[in-house]
Amino acid sequence: MRRALLAGACLVLSSQLAGCITHTQPEELFQLTAESPRNKAMQTRFFETKDETELLSASAAVLQDLGFQVEESVQDVGFLRATKERSAREYGQDIGRFFAFFLSLGKFIMPVDLHQRIAAMLIARPINPEATRQEVRIMFYRVVWKGDGQADRQHIPPGQQKMEMLRDPVMYQQFFAKLSKAVFLEAFTL
Amino acid sequence: MTRRAVWESIVLAGVLLVQGCVAPQPSQDLLAPTEAQMKIRSVQTRAFDVKDRQLAMRGVIAALQDLGFIIERANEPLGLVTAARFAEPNFYDVLGVTVTVRPQAEGRMLIRANAIYNNKPIEDPKVYQNFFATLERSLFIAKE
Amino acid sequence: MLHNHRHMSRRLSTISRSGGLLLVAGLCLLLQGCPTPYELRHQAQWDSREQIWLSEESQVKLRVAQSRVFDTTDRRRTLEAAVDTMQDLGFMVEVLDEQLGMVSGKKFEPLERPSIGTDPYYHLYDDQSLLIFTKSYHTWGPFWHRSDLVRLTITVRKRNDTQLVVRASAQYYLRAVEDPAPYQKFFRTLEQALFLQGQLVE
Repeated sequence: MRRALLAGACLVLSSQLAGCITHTQPEELFQLTAESPRNKAMQTRFFETKDETELLSASAAVLQDLGFQVEESVQDVGFLRATKERSAREYGQDIGRFFAFFLSLGKFIMPVDLHQRIAAMLIARPINPEATRQEVRIMFYRVVWKGDGQADRQHIPPGQQKMEMLRDPVMYQQFFAKLSKAVFLEAFTL
Repeated sequence: MTRRAVWESIVLAGVLLVQGCVAPQPSQDLLAPTEAQMKIRSVQTRAFDVKDRQLAMRGVIAALQDLGFIIERANEPLGLVTAARFAEPNFYDVLGVTVTVRPQAEGRMLIRANAIYNNKPIEDPKVYQNFFATLERSLFIAKE
Repeated sequence: MLHNHRHMSRRLSTISRSGGLLLVAGLCLLLQGCPTPYELRHQAQWDSREQIWLSEESQVKLRVAQSRVFDTTDRRRTLEAAVDTMQDLGFMVEVLDEQLGMVSGKKFEPLERPSIGTDPYYHLYDDQSLLIFTKSYHTWGPFWHRSDLVRLTITVRKRNDTQLVVRASAQYYLRAVEDPAPYQKFFRTLEQALFLQGQLVE
């Protein structure tokens, strides 16, 4: 009985440690991967217009519509950043924590995701010398923070963070559909 | 009868405990200015005889720098200056200030300062009087 | 004798009922991994990525509550009035762009402030850092402060040749403010600053 419980606790704990195995070398981080062109295509659209300002202004309005708060805007480089902070608490993680607590016989309280900050970063720039064609590229990503926990006698302080680039193509399609409607222009892909 | 009362009180306590575990809801007056803020508005605003807005903003920035503030942003067309500093020697307290400069008439600028100490708006008139005294010195030292 | 029995059984049933209720409540809390009150104040969902995208219905409803049409084309004056209103509300203005027509500010409501004693890190909190780069993997102290953030973004856009649309959106304790009442009060203050009457968007 005790062996089974111990095995269960080991299983749960090892699933937690499974995340921290490989370290990426710095050189690799500066190289384009196979997914880079696909990601770029997903995140980029072209608009036939001279008015970069109107594109940025409409993007800010679309992001506001989606619940984002504008945080930074640098017009000279066509940069716009908007974020929204939401709760990241998940039922699945709570249940997992209960089982970890139970299987470790009350010794391990797993920290769970609590707080997330979803950010949208947008760059608009002219793509030809006459500035009649504008490229709009947006990136959605989120940073998630965990709460605190307990491992035997040791208190695990809160604030453990992880970042996730959001790669759902539907999300980007919907954003550009809204932007297209807001500026009354058609969004071209490459 | 007493046992039932004990159980009921436990359940009630449990319900109340859970109540404190609900996310706080925004009040109706979240985006409405408070009484205190409306009263302080006149103290926060003062008119100065300055030639143009840019000159006034330079004076504001100079005054803030004299007071040890770090200028965070300055927007000339809309007359906004935002600055912050620590309440030294105590590095745990932060003081932020937003100053707007608006033309009231020809050669007359309306300057409004909004100070926030540790994320709470300052309602003491003396603070603003001190600021405007420093600002006046900074604005008219250029003339001399 | 029978009267006593019935009385007894009734007492037992009420005790067991409220006891059962308590047990169920306790089990619910337990199954969620014994969350602390701070954690319970965070809304739970099955997939936290749902928060990225708002549903269409809530978007439309929000848009109506958050927008007003003004009979003016003076964007600068409208923005100045918006900044005035933000100052009245005690917001620190962060973003101000006349050509893009937007103002954005933040303030902290003392919702999570420790009731006993002080947390010196509380006011040093830098919410601008997207990723908190520290040598030690975990961050501490300021974590409890994040939920206190109240953000307000106001956009001013041209509706047609004679009108502007002003849209205000606020964020409070990790949720978008969806109640129309705070926005009504906000626009009343804005109208006073502008001396204009704001109309609802159709």
